[in-house]
Amino acid sequence: MSRISAHTGAAARLAEPSPVGVLADRYFRYLIVWPAILVLLLIGLFPLVYSAIVSFQKINRRVEDTSFHGLLNYGRLVGDDRFWESLLHTGIFTAIALPLELVLGFLLAKLMLDRLPGRQVFIALLLLPAVISPIVAGAMWRLMFDNIFGPINQVLGWIAGGPVNILWTINDNPVVVYSAILVCEIWQWTPFMFLILLAALANVDRSQLEAAELDGASYWQTLSKVILPAIKPVVIVALTIRGLDLVRLFDIVWALTRGGPGTMTETVSVYAYIRGFERFDVSFTAALAFVVIVLLSLIVMAMLKRLEIAR
Amino acid sequence: MALGRITTPLVALAAIGWAGTGDALAQSAADRAVEAAQQYAGTTLTITWEAGLQSLDPLNFSGPKWEELTGIEVKVVEMPITELFTKTLAEHRAGTGAYDLLNVVPAWMPDLVYAGVLEPLDAYVDRYGYRDELQDIAPTYRDNQMTFDGQIYGLPDDGDVFLLYYRTDLFGDADNQAEFKDRHGYDLAPPDTWAQFADISEFFTERMGEGGYGSALIHSPGLIHYLFEERFRLAGGQFFDADSMDATINGDIGVDVLSDMVAQLDNMPPGAAAWGPIEVLNSWLAGDLAMMIWWPPPGRWSAGYGTDTEALSWLPESTVAGKVGYASTPGARPQLAAGFALSVAANSDNKEAAYLFAQWMNSKEISLQRVMLPFALRDPFRTSHFESEEYRALWPAAGEYLDALKVGSETGLLDLSIIDTFSYEESLTRAITTSLAGGDVRSALDQSAEEWNEITDEIGVDDQRDAYAIWASKPNAYPN
Repeated sequence: MSRISAHTGAAARLAEPSPVGVLADRYFRYLIVWPAILVLLLIGLFPLVYSAIVSFQKINRRVEDTSFHGLLNYGRLVGDDRFWESLLHTGIFTAIALPLELVLGFLLAKLMLDRLPGRQVFIALLLLPAVISPIVAGAMWRLMFDNIFGPINQVLGWIAGGPVNILWTINDNPVVVYSAILVCEIWQWTPFMFLILLAALANVDRSQLEAAELDGASYWQTLSKVILPAIKPVVIVALTIRGLDLVRLFDIVWALTRGGPGTMTETVSVYAYIRGFERFDVSFTAALAFVVIVLLSLIVMAMLKRLEIAR
Repeated sequence: MALGRITTPLVALAAIGWAGTGDALAQSAADRAVEAAQQYAGTTLTITWEAGLQSLDPLNFSGPKWEELTGIEVKVVEMPITELFTKTLAEHRAGTGAYDLLNVVPAWMPDLVYAGVLEPLDAYVDRYGYRDELQDIAPTYRDNQMTFDGQIYGLPDDGDVFLLYYRTDLFGDADNQAEFKDRHGYDLAPPDTWAQFADISEFFTERMGEGGYGSALIHSPGLIHYLFEERFRLAGGQFFDADSMDATINGDIGVDVLSDMVAQLDNMPPGAAAWGPIEVLNSWLAGDLAMMIWWPPPGRWSAGYGTDTEALSWLPESTVAGKVGYASTPGARPQLAAGFALSVAANSDNKEAAYLFAQWMNSKEISLQRVMLPFALRDPFRTSHFESEEYRALWPAAGEYLDALKVGSETGLLDLSIIDTFSYEESLTRAITTSLAGGDVRSALDQSAEEWNEITDEIGVDDQRDAYAIWASKPNAYPN
């Protein structure tokens, strides 16, 4: 009897875990992910917080004053025409390059969706530019645009029937110098759009396409009512990634024009580099970076909201 | 470590006493440095150096030789010239003591001194009996690279100066001479003025036919401001009003000089508005130019000196060897245009050893070997270099080359060197590149002057006035 009761008591103890056991069980999962979260915070959040702190200090080439200076650097930033110009230049590059890359990427993806002979080779070749480092791509295109050694003017000369001497990366005509940068940018990053859209198009439900065909839908109706809605989430993700890249546009501009002539092609990243790494204006650059981060975050949030991921 | 801390100063003191003896001073400065440095055998010196050809000197020559003589290892940290300043300052601010010996561009010296990055060297110079040998360094390099506010912060170590290169075959051609005199009424010779430079450029652009041009100059950002600064001062321009510290680069002199620079593009190769040193050099070596302005190295390379070394295998073969003349830039007040000084980092743990390495490299004996290295970029900077029979025998026209450099070393205009010089130069560069690309010269300079005033206000007018006064009081800051 006593043995039975002892067993029952033990079973009851087993059935009712101790409060410590309950707590351990409840928080163990958090405990095991804690180190990973800490590492992520250190890597991701610490630099951000540190930049924010520095942006309220006064650290530059001459002074290392870590006391609180309020909105000094933000005030300077707001009153800095060169910052707003660089933001405008970045916006122009983004507004032109992003839709062009999307459209060209989509057209190439549509073309490669069909089983063309040598399709795999074409796809591999099309992806090559995206593999190259942007600074190398910029240097290569600088040579291409060179008016003595570069083939661009030579080819244009053949078409025009006479010598063409366009100073692509030097001219003070924005149409010329912006075109040079945009050609390089679009050449390098259209393949990225192409690859993403190729994958998205390949996954469009075949039955819906067949149903549209049976219903007598035109090509444009199929495209606008079936294909585009189906690939819309992927398009938004691709646009977000490329849009963020374009806001950070640096290497190609640096290699081609260094932001010149004057500041004509200076993007916000180029300006940040000059202020931070050449002029050593650390706190001002931190404020600039922080404002750009906030702007980018707002764009990303808007895109995610559109994608209905944020909910 | 603790023992080391105690013994090192004692050994240094012993060295001081020893160095002060007459026997020791009978030795060369290089030998004194080696003997004093041997007590630091086993330590490692970390030095900053511009990446590329510049750093081949400590990597392949002076570093290994120093280690062999003293047992001190030399670790060379190479970086692009644009990062030398920021990395040096960042390491100092972080207090890492990462660098012992620094390569300092003289224009940055005030910033580095104010930030406490550089160790004053006067005591070391006296301790190791180096003051006399410093007098052998050409005066402009001493003024440009050595001192700030009367104290020594660097040992001038590079004879950078702009030099005019011209084609002796074209200038000496009888038909060219007659035609030129007919047209312009004076003899065809290396130009004494920028107006003559323009005449000669135009003349040869016509005479040389397709693919040939009168001249090409270095116009790339980061370097173009040097030419403007030279011509602006030569024309009588002053950078600032010395009392108010208002920028005065946008007056008529500045506008005329920059307009002239833009006009001269007509007689340069298409695209030369953005040419950097390499494009100009390539065009010169290919024989496409009648004149160019560059630093001293092409004087050696044009003659083929050192071009068979692996480090210079990238250079196109010279088609102008034996046809190169050397002269001062128009106006005979060439800009020094950078250069390097060797400085000791104030928070180094190896200051004494770092200084001794600098003294050894910089000494008459070793520096001559270094400026004759075919692959490196250090240029002659001592009177004894210019007079060296050994150097003069390196190629047939080496004597003329050294004579032209010597003139530059005496008359060269100092680079602007005030607080935050880089910001002023960066602003000026944008004004120049905008103008060269076809923008309005006056408005570009007006904007730059406005930016200069903002930079000055931000620094503090009084502080900058003091720094400017120190610089402007040096003999070759302005032509007169």
